[in-house]
This record gives sequence, structure tokens and C-alpha cells, in this order.
Amino acid sequence: MKRRIPLAICFTIGILMLAQFMIPHPISRAFGSTVNKWYIVLAAFALVLAIGNLIRHHGTKIRRKKTDWPYSIVTLSGMVAMSIIGFAGGIDSKSLYQTIYLNVLAPLGSTMFALLAYYMASAAYRSFRARSLEATLLLAAAFIVMIGFMPFGQYISPHLPAFAEWIMKVPNMASQRGIMFGVAFGSIATALKIILGIERSWLGGKK
Amino acid sequence: MKWYEAISKIDRRIIYLFLTIFVILPFFVPFKLRQNIMPQTQQLFDFVESIPPHDKVVMISFDYTPQTMPECHPMAIALLKHCFARNIPVLGLSFDIQAPGLAVEALTTVVEELNHKASTHDDSLFYGKDYVYLGWKSGFTAAVLDMGESIAGVFPRDYFGHPVDSLPLMQKTRNYKDVAIAIVLSASAYPEYWVLYPQSRYGVKIGAGLTAVMAPKYYPFLQTGQFSGMMSGMKGAAEYEHLIVEKGYAEKLGRAETGMNSQSIVHLLIIIIIILGNIGFFFTRKDQKQS
Repeated sequence: MKRRIPLAICFTIGILMLAQFMIPHPISRAFGSTVNKWYIVLAAFALVLAIGNLIRHHGTKIRRKKTDWPYSIVTLSGMVAMSIIGFAGGIDSKSLYQTIYLNVLAPLGSTMFALLAYYMASAAYRSFRARSLEATLLLAAAFIVMIGFMPFGQYISPHLPAFAEWIMKVPNMASQRGIMFGVAFGSIATALKIILGIERSWLGGKK
Repeated sequence: MKWYEAISKIDRRIIYLFLTIFVILPFFVPFKLRQNIMPQTQQLFDFVESIPPHDKVVMISFDYTPQTMPECHPMAIALLKHCFARNIPVLGLSFDIQAPGLAVEALTTVVEELNHKASTHDDSLFYGKDYVYLGWKSGFTAAVLDMGESIAGVFPRDYFGHPVDSLPLMQKTRNYKDVAIAIVLSASAYPEYWVLYPQSRYGVKIGAGLTAVMAPKYYPFLQTGQFSGMMSGMKGAAEYEHLIVEKGYAEKLGRAETGMNSQSIVHLLIIIIIILGNIGFFFTRKDQKQS
């Protein structure tokens, strides 16, 4: 029963939601809308679970004084402080919450991402070598796209931006479309396997 | 050490130093480069340009995070300036939990700037009448689908806690039928799902503002017409800034222009060091073959 009931629910809702997507009748639309609202509420619970997991994970780390445990104190303090500030002082544009967000989190996030530029430049210099025909083609395409999309490109040759755009619109698009078709067929197959109860790993357990 | 060995083994700290100098330089020594407008940016601009004033809303989904703020935030600012200059109401929302702070910042910056310049009451922008920010909602796929039935059903209250039905703009914006275009500013797969769900079901027009690294994935959507335009990375934002300035909707270029100057020089540096590395590699290989 523990397995049959969830499988029956999955099959019924899966088929009904698939059908309602294709049928623009008011009853079908009302059903779809209701299920979507349930889903939104359920998805919000995932956030509660995430908070619980975060507290448990970092709480354990602090208690057992595992490697880098002081950082866990920073994580938990940050979460608690921002929650209190948000609940007590509001979240509008002039609030303390927004000030902290814009002046602490935003620069920290941008800085972390900006560090990638250094790694990428260094890695590109050390590993981007024309060792084979394939690597040379990749190098040539990368150069054309980089130069073509830079404002400098048009000063080097007025045809460079158009050529870079052609690389994006023809060879790139063909390969992207191939990948998308592969992913789409894979998704359809997986979805059907779940709805029909062939794929049961989502139920958990060993069987 | 031979010269070609030296150029293929440049210390990474020297690369870092040059990179830092090249990123900072354009902020102190500004210069202007002519932007070559890409067709997809022009297409998005033209679409917004074709929307009648005081009619349907432009829905902007702010789904970028502080990490991708330098690329996506200038897009948001330029888009908002364009819409408000043409008296097109804006409806903002977010599905990425880190995004609301940035959305509020973009809206506040643009509204304060335009209201500061406004000479009459009619020129001013008012929350609830000219723009609304709905905030964040969980359950992305279900939410974007259900907004086709009722936006207020998914967002009963806006980000600031006002009941959505009490806002004048929302009284005439019930679902996607009242949305001219939904423009998704994102660094992840959100734009794809906007096409898969609300567009395939309700036919809503979709535009996108993406980080440069994401843009190649979305070219097929442009070719099929599923995207009504796209801004790609900082370059896309800089192009949009140029377009709104050219048309007289803004007086000066924004942050993307300066950022683009830094990015252009850094790209040039990367190209030069890759060429140097390859020259060193060829000569070293030649040397090894001979010996």
C-alpha cells in the first residue's frame, strides 16, 4: 500500500495534468489552476525544509567543532539576523534589510563571480593551445566570436561582426538545437516512465 | 630560458596584474566605442517601441542574482527607462529568491530619477498606477502557468504587502491577455521555461535578457520566433542603452557602456596572451622535434 497509493496518485494526476494542458475547457482550466496552486504551496514548504536542513547541518558542525566550524556560526547568524531585520523593519527600498542586501550581499556575490575572470584568463593562457585540428578550429571560432562581438571588431573589419553572428546563428544554433532535441526526448521518456510507474526511484527505499 | 619559452610560461600573477589594470582603466580614462547593434537587441527594442502607450503592460521577470548583476542590472535599468519614457506600464515579478532586492533597487533608481526630472503631476510615475512589483513566488512552473488564468490568484499581495486587487494597474491586468510581452532577465534556464509553459499554453510573447555565457543556448528560440528579441550579456545591455539614448528616451549612457569598455580591453588582453602562449608552444614543439 505504501508504494501503490503514491504510484496511483502519480499516474492519475500525471495523466489528468497532461490532458488538461491540451484541453482549453473551463472545467479543465479550473482543475489545472487548482493543482497549480497546490504545487505553489508545496514548493513553499521546500523552503521550510531547506531552512531546517541548514540549521541541522551547521548546528551539528558547530557542536562537533568540525573543520571550519566558525564559518557555520557566520552562516547561521547571518540567516537569523536577516530574518529578524526583515520581519521587524520591513523589506521596502528604504529598509535596513534592503541596505544590507545591496551593500553586503550584492558586492560579495559580484566579487565571487568577478574572481572567475582571473581564473579564466590564466586558464585560457595555459591551456588554449592549437595542439590538434579540432583545438585549432575551436580557437579560431572563439577568436572570431570574441573579436566580432567586441566594439573593436568593426574597426578591424566591418565583416567581422557579421561573421561572428553567422557562427552563432548557424553552427552554434545547429548544435544547440541537437542538444535541445536530445534533452526534450529524454525528458519525455523519463516523465512517461514516472507517470506509468516504470521509474520508481522517486519513491525512495531499496526496492 | 629562450624567448619563446618565456612567453609560454608567463607568471599568472603578471596576468592578474594586467587584468586588474585593464578592468580599472576605463573607469578613470573613459572613452567611447561605437556599438554595433546586434539584430536581436534591435528586435527587442522595436517590439517595446511598437507597444501602444497606456495600454498593455510589459511584464519584467527579474530573475538574476548579485553574481550576475553587472550584466543583467543595466538591462533592467535600460528597459525600465524605455517603458516609462513611452508611458508603458510595467509589472515586475521574480522567481529567483535572490532577485527581489535587485528588482526593487532597479525600480527605485529609475522611478526616482524620472520623478526628479518630472515637471508636472502627469509626468510623474506612481506605484500601483504606472508600475507594480509583485515580489517572489515559489513553484515557478505552476506559477507561470496559473498566471494565464489569474495573476492575482498567484500573487494575492504585492512585494510591499498591498492587496493586488486594490492597485489600479492590476485591476486592468488580469492575466496574460493584458501583457504585451514578458521579458525575462536571467542567468539560468527561466526564459526556456517561459516559452515551454505560458507561451505554448497562452501565446504570451517572450523577450529575454541573458548573461553572455547563456546566450548561445537561446539562438534557436530567436530563429523560431519564440523569442521576440534578446539582449546578450553586457554587450546587449550597452546596445539597449545606445538605442534608448539615440531615440531620446535617456540623456546619457548607463553602467553597461563603461563595463563594456573594460570587457573589450580585457578580451583583447586574453586574445593577446593566448596568441603569445601559442607562439611559445609552436616554437617549443619545433625545437623539441629538431632535437
